[in-house]
Amino acid sequence: MSVFLIVIAIIAVILVLMYNSLVSKKNQVENIFASVDTVLKKRYDLIPNLVSSVGKYMQHEKSLLEEVTKLRADANKPNISDEQKIAFDAKVSSALGSIMVAVENYPELKANENVMHLQHSLGEIEEQISAARRTYNQAVTDYNNAIEMIPTNFMASAMNYQRKEVFEIVESERQNVNVKELFN
Amino acid sequence: MKSISELTDFYYKTLYPTLEKLEDDRKHLRYRITVVGIFYTFVVLLMGFGFLDYLQSIPNLFFVLGFIYVGVGAFIYKFLIKDYTKEFKNKIIDPLIHAIDDKLSYISEMHISKDYFNRSELFTQSPDRISGNDFVSGEIDGVKIEFSDLHAEKKHKNSKNKDTWETIFQGLFIVSEFNKHFKGKTVILPDTAQSTFGDLIGNWLQSNNFGRSELVKMDDINFEKEFVVYSTDQIEARYILSHSLMKRLLAFKKKSQHPVYISFIGESIYMAIYYSKDLFEPSVFRSLLNYKIAMEYVKTLHLALGIVEELKLNQKLWSKR
Repeated sequence: MSVFLIVIAIIAVILVLMYNSLVSKKNQVENIFASVDTVLKKRYDLIPNLVSSVGKYMQHEKSLLEEVTKLRADANKPNISDEQKIAFDAKVSSALGSIMVAVENYPELKANENVMHLQHSLGEIEEQISAARRTYNQAVTDYNNAIEMIPTNFMASAMNYQRKEVFEIVESERQNVNVKELFN
Repeated sequence: MKSISELTDFYYKTLYPTLEKLEDDRKHLRYRITVVGIFYTFVVLLMGFGFLDYLQSIPNLFFVLGFIYVGVGAFIYKFLIKDYTKEFKNKIIDPLIHAIDDKLSYISEMHISKDYFNRSELFTQSPDRISGNDFVSGEIDGVKIEFSDLHAEKKHKNSKNKDTWETIFQGLFIVSEFNKHFKGKTVILPDTAQSTFGDLIGNWLQSNNFGRSELVKMDDINFEKEFVVYSTDQIEARYILSHSLMKRLLAFKKKSQHPVYISFIGESIYMAIYYSKDLFEPSVFRSLLNYKIAMEYVKTLHLALGIVEELKLNQKLWSKR
């Protein structure tokens, strides 16, 4: 009888531990996403300033600037899901990247102090975003591993936990060895 | 900054007359040490046999005698090479450092302060005794840097209530400004658990390392194999350790060929490179003109002062300028 009780107790302890580890992994993901969101917002805040500074010169890239403005407006709407935020981030990153490449074609823009300041601020924020993204991806990987691996996967399916998406790391970011562009 | 080959040239060309003179000193010194050593050993043996009857009453006779013999011997040796060491440091190491950058300052008797050692949090034990020498400080490319040879020890009592000293760290200790802002503490240690126990158990051991902050799993497989990262802030640790810095640290570790400990605390980067011997000391029994010996001085100096360039500490974040 007592053996039976001990076995039950051990099983209960294991279940509680599994449950708690899953909850803590889920919370870790949410927690870090909040930080990602903060740095993403910081970047969105720079966009209006950037658009107004370069808009006068960039006649040929009007559509690009409009696109960025629209993306910012969409991303700042309330009640958008984490997945949508991740998708917006990828689009904004690539659009801003194209604008920065286009700036290179305008000597007067490259020399403009305001634009230079914006470029540097964006560079620094990009680094922060990259760090936040990588942290988020690690947390999501830990979480996804837990909900797919034995034995926690049984518990996870009982708790109705779903796989989460990671940020696609842009190829250019993987090799951000070219610090010159960010710092100079 | 000058390259290793330029420094080697400097060592063999500019310093050659001095080296030749020091070589003579060294040969004389070697002769003197041999003579004194034989004489000293002879005296000790003679005294040992002379007082044999009396000495037999002491327990652990050989152990005690051996201990005294080595202790006094080391003292005599240090006394004999004192002048030679001083001469070597003033005439060889000092010019070598100034050849790298003439604004650097070199003080052979000083070392990195205990405060810095403790602040680095690289080693969890706090030392009871810190010694060292060859303190170099100054700026390279506008980046503040200082380093020295350092030996940190902790005192223990053994079963006979005698003091014994355990080495916490011995080697090169470098402190430099870091080029990014950060608030938390990030510590990078050589990965011993994962390489000894494999991924699964090693990882578990690492994440349960009391006395350290949270384990940070990095997304560079090679880096993760060599190092383990602890930090108070998961995001900040990755902000500091960008993909490019991880690659550079790996290259640095490879170049140094010794265990490397790194921490980022309070706007500074601390690096401890474990050599388990006193560096920048003159060789007594081998020629100073020996290529291997010369390269050791040159390479170690180049390694320490090279971190500014190698880790791109001079590419300061724009808002830090």
